[in-house]
Amino acid sequence: MSTSFAEYAWLVPVFPLAAFAILTAMGKGARKTGPWIGIIGTLASLVLSLCIAFERMTDNADDYSKSIEWLQVGSLKLSAGFEVTNLTSLMLVVVTLVSFLVNVYSQGYMRDDDRISTFFAYVALFTSSMLGLVLSDNLLTFYIFWELVGVCSFLLVGFWYHKPEAKAAAKKAFIVTRIGDLGLLIALLLLFWYMPDHALDFTTIHNVFSTPGGVISVGITTLIALLIFVGAVGKSGQFPLHTWLPDAMEGPTPISALIHAATMVAAGVFLVARTFPIFEASDAAMTTVAVIGAFTAIFAASIGLAQNDIKRILAYSTVSQLGYMMLALGVGSVSAAMFHLFTHAFFKALLFLGAGSVIHGAHTQDIREMGGLGKTMKITAWTFGIGALALSGIPPFAGFWSKDAILAAALDKNGILFAVGAIAAFFTALYMARLYFLVFAGKPKQDGHAHESPSVMTVPLIVLAILSVVAGFVDTPFKGWLGEWLTGEAPEHHGSGIVMVVSVAVGLLGIYIGWLVYVKGTVRRDAVSSRAPALVRTLERKYYIDELYDLLIVKPLRSFGKALQAFDDYIVDGVVRLAGYSTSALGRLNSRLQSGQVQTYALTALIGIVILALAIAGRRFW
Amino acid sequence: MTMLASYLTLAAVLFCVGLYGVLTKRNAIVVLLCIELMLNAVNLNLIAFSKYGVTPSLTGQIFSLFTMTVAAAEAAVGMAVLIVWYRNRATVNVDEFDELRG
Amino acid sequence: MLDNVPILSLITFAPLVGSLIVLLLPGQRSQWLRITAIAFTVIPLALTLWLFAAYEPSVGGAAYTEHETWLTIPLNKELLQGFESSQLRFDYHLTVDGISMPLVILTGIVSTMAALATVHIRKRWKTFYVLFLLLLTGIYGVFLSRDLVLFFIFFEVTLIPMFFLIGIWGYYGREKAATRFLVYNGLGSAAMLLSFLLLIATLGLSATDSQVIFSGNYDVLLANLTDPQAMANLTADQAGAAEFLLNDNMRWGAFVLLMIAFGIKVPIFPFHTWMLRVHTEAPPSIVMIHSGILLKMGVYGLIRFGAFLFPEQLHDWSTIIAILGVINILYGAIIACVQREFKLVLAYSSISHMGIVLLGIASLEEVGLQGAIYQSVSHGLISALLFLIVGSLYERTQTTQLDELGGLAKSMPFMSGILLVGGLASLGLPGLSGFVGEFLSFLGLFGSMKWITAIGVLGVLFAAIYVLRSILSITYGRTPEAFENMKDARFIEALPMIALAALIVLLGVYPSILTDLMQNGFNGLLEQLHTRVGG
Repeated sequence: MSTSFAEYAWLVPVFPLAAFAILTAMGKGARKTGPWIGIIGTLASLVLSLCIAFERMTDNADDYSKSIEWLQVGSLKLSAGFEVTNLTSLMLVVVTLVSFLVNVYSQGYMRDDDRISTFFAYVALFTSSMLGLVLSDNLLTFYIFWELVGVCSFLLVGFWYHKPEAKAAAKKAFIVTRIGDLGLLIALLLLFWYMPDHALDFTTIHNVFSTPGGVISVGITTLIALLIFVGAVGKSGQFPLHTWLPDAMEGPTPISALIHAATMVAAGVFLVARTFPIFEASDAAMTTVAVIGAFTAIFAASIGLAQNDIKRILAYSTVSQLGYMMLALGVGSVSAAMFHLFTHAFFKALLFLGAGSVIHGAHTQDIREMGGLGKTMKITAWTFGIGALALSGIPPFAGFWSKDAILAAALDKNGILFAVGAIAAFFTALYMARLYFLVFAGKPKQDGHAHESPSVMTVPLIVLAILSVVAGFVDTPFKGWLGEWLTGEAPEHHGSGIVMVVSVAVGLLGIYIGWLVYVKGTVRRDAVSSRAPALVRTLERKYYIDELYDLLIVKPLRSFGKALQAFDDYIVDGVVRLAGYSTSALGRLNSRLQSGQVQTYALTALIGIVILALAIAGRRFW
Repeated sequence: MTMLASYLTLAAVLFCVGLYGVLTKRNAIVVLLCIELMLNAVNLNLIAFSKYGVTPSLTGQIFSLFTMTVAAAEAAVGMAVLIVWYRNRATVNVDEFDELRG
Repeated sequence: MLDNVPILSLITFAPLVGSLIVLLLPGQRSQWLRITAIAFTVIPLALTLWLFAAYEPSVGGAAYTEHETWLTIPLNKELLQGFESSQLRFDYHLTVDGISMPLVILTGIVSTMAALATVHIRKRWKTFYVLFLLLLTGIYGVFLSRDLVLFFIFFEVTLIPMFFLIGIWGYYGREKAATRFLVYNGLGSAAMLLSFLLLIATLGLSATDSQVIFSGNYDVLLANLTDPQAMANLTADQAGAAEFLLNDNMRWGAFVLLMIAFGIKVPIFPFHTWMLRVHTEAPPSIVMIHSGILLKMGVYGLIRFGAFLFPEQLHDWSTIIAILGVINILYGAIIACVQREFKLVLAYSSISHMGIVLLGIASLEEVGLQGAIYQSVSHGLISALLFLIVGSLYERTQTTQLDELGGLAKSMPFMSGILLVGGLASLGLPGLSGFVGEFLSFLGLFGSMKWITAIGVLGVLFAAIYVLRSILSITYGRTPEAFENMKDARFIEALPMIALAALIVLLGVYPSILTDLMQNGFNGLLEQLHTRVGG
């Protein structure tokens, strides 16, 4: 076989890495050229990724993997390598494409920031790590990049470091995801010791766990799967570790689009998909994934109904949609999950970039202060509308097809999961309708200084809008090839008729209600909040989860730390001080005997001699 | 009572008197004199043994001469120290000699 | 190419020569003194790197051994029948192997960086540099010597200069800190001396045709341990010869004494409080040496003497050591989370990190042991870097209280960036050196003690909390007015920062550079473990 593009896949993350290195070396000075370096780096990756993907689509080539020895200890070898499969090549395209568009967009969005070159350096580092994560051929390398994307996310969330909120959000993002990472790390250790030959590469994992009655017991398999899932929960913002993701919106908006919508948060889904045989081998793990996914989907969507910050609504929407993907995985459909990941990446990136454009124009993030922007920001309004429709699952937009696939798979497994998914879909349509109508419809609430963004920002919007329309057609129930291409099995399409009807119905219903409330005004806006203020309040406060964690975990931990500190100061160190004190006290006591009275000394000596003499004499007669 | 025993008894009495004085007297000069007393008790022993001991020899008497010389030197040094002390402190009370207190 | 050069002696005594030269220089010329001192830290560094380049892990340290008889004391007693005389013999014996090599390199690097960081020293330069260089000779000697007596002497040589370096050039509580340092380490030394005497008088026994020799030669001890039969033969038909054999109780005694001696140095909970004082009170360049290298002498001692000489005892105690390690990790990490003073955060984090080293040792697996050494080297570099920054920071802000600092990323972007790199390495971010050491240690222990390891892994989470909490409150947030116009790092400060950061990245990305060195370092121990403990 002649050389293929896949053999050069390792170059894909190298281009952005080089961009990062150059940007770091250039320092602050590169305000003009900096963005271009970032853009060129990701463009090169994009081109190469597209070549790899097209090659694989046309040739149906074998998977290609190559690894080098990273670390050898005795007989144990830890390797690092990359692997190109259909799944990874799809992810490569998604990541590089979104990253490229975000880079282009940021050139406009971040134009006035002092540290624009630092921004582009971080973005390049993130892109590189994310691509490395996608390409990893074993779990250890995966984990390394997994942490690196986490740290890039941390850096970018806290990019405006002088804002106390950004500082808190960055810290929270890192620490909460770290909880998940612990799970993954322990899973990694477990796998290392239980796998034959300590193999950690995905191919071997696949083979070992796919064998029925395999070498690893069900209990351990479940444990490993759940621990891996804990990692995915942290990264993908699933309940109960979702709290960091909405806060992460303190970062610049392009970052929210790139990291916290399209790529990094989807890494959890990707991880589960990549290690899917482990989950398949354990029913308990599958059920957990499905239940957590479904719950997160409806939970986050319901919070989204009551938020007022445009980015937070989208963040909860992201959490909810990631829940859908987990649901798909839990009911056994990798292809549906990856399909939704693929379409979601485009339309959610579109929505975030659109939101960025809105913020850029309106200088506020509160949707209650916006209105009528549709007139002044035509391109933004249109593209945002397309994204909203795609998210709400209205045909023929991309979100419809992928959500439909998930709901179909859920119905196939369990009616309740399907019902939950359908209700979440209704909520989704409702909060998007609310968001869209409040922002773009109605009368302008500001003095009309809102303006359309420059073309460097709108062009990426248009590209993403087009993708949000067409991306769904790669795998419709009528003619699909993505599922087969990804999993190598012929896709099963069943029950789609009912599912389609239901999902379109709930979507349209949600939009209709939103229209009634926020445009027509037939239903008063405070219809719910006046009748059930507690409910609305709970939703606004996000079910008090943050407060709960603060009360149950943060505060006790802090008191425990203080208590330990006191223990260290007074007990551990106290014992030492006591030992020191008692030694010197004894010394003082003895020095009291040293009165300086020679006569006393002599008397003591005399008494001593007498006692000695008596003792010697006494021994005679003993 | 043999001659030796009576000499030794006298020496013992002398030594005890001296020891009592060393341990109880406040005046440093008296203490010094009492030390002389103890030394003389020892001298008495030496001489007694040299005359009435198991193997009489001159060594004891010569030794007692040495002791007297050393005692004289010691008394001189002691007196000198006391005089210096008296000049500084205007006292010869041994209770106040507690420079070695810990 | 190193065959005819006494390179190990050169490395060890070059700082001593430097110390003497500094003595001859006029005391007011701080510039001369500084340059001389730096030069004499660079010389051993260069020699170490030369050694590193020429080192063949497969041959081990055998190629670089310097062995001379140092002094013999004839014993006036016929101890064993059939031998005409007996003597006590101490050797001058230096060797480098896979375990000491990484630590020697660490010493070379960190000491040079610390010498560069001595720009903050403001008084009595001459005495400072004399003591500083003397300290280095002690450290190199500890890592290289293979005779118990020689080891002990070098070990003590590190104590005295440290005492004065803390006590004269430290911050306000310096004298107390120095006393505490001396008392704790003196106790440790006493325990070590006792244990060494026990070993020399029993395991140190060897015989030529006509002579019985008691020596502190490590190789003799090891040979007697691995082949107890030879010693039994020697003393087989001797009346009262059993007293020369190390019986089980004595073995335990010697082992426990060694654990205490080196445990204080590491430090293992509850012997850690002295180290907090030293971290907060000593001048930053000395803390770089202390936290970066001196703590590793404890680790080295635990492995070199604890593990190699007493594999059975260590095996029996592995659970205890693992638990102590976990206590160190969590105790240090949780307390670090509530500190208000940055130096104390770092001090407690050191305790936490040394706990990971203990886990690696407790594993008694090659992975874990290599992890322990790796973690030591990595922690040495990281804490050296962090304290280097603390020194520069304190010089500018006059405080290291977390509440008083903030927003320094604005006025000092470079130093803040490096601080962040150091912090991320400290919390075990993959791609930086901290991760590899942690990962290998956990990996090693996980095979035998799953639950303990799993609890220990929690420390990684707390590490994230205390590192981010403290570093973000220094560099992020609003910049107080007083800090707005502060200057970023000067060139002389930036140089060691960049060098250390680069090494941290290098070790994180390409760990083989260090693990290859250790390739055969643990063979002897592992063999022992397999044959005697039964794997």
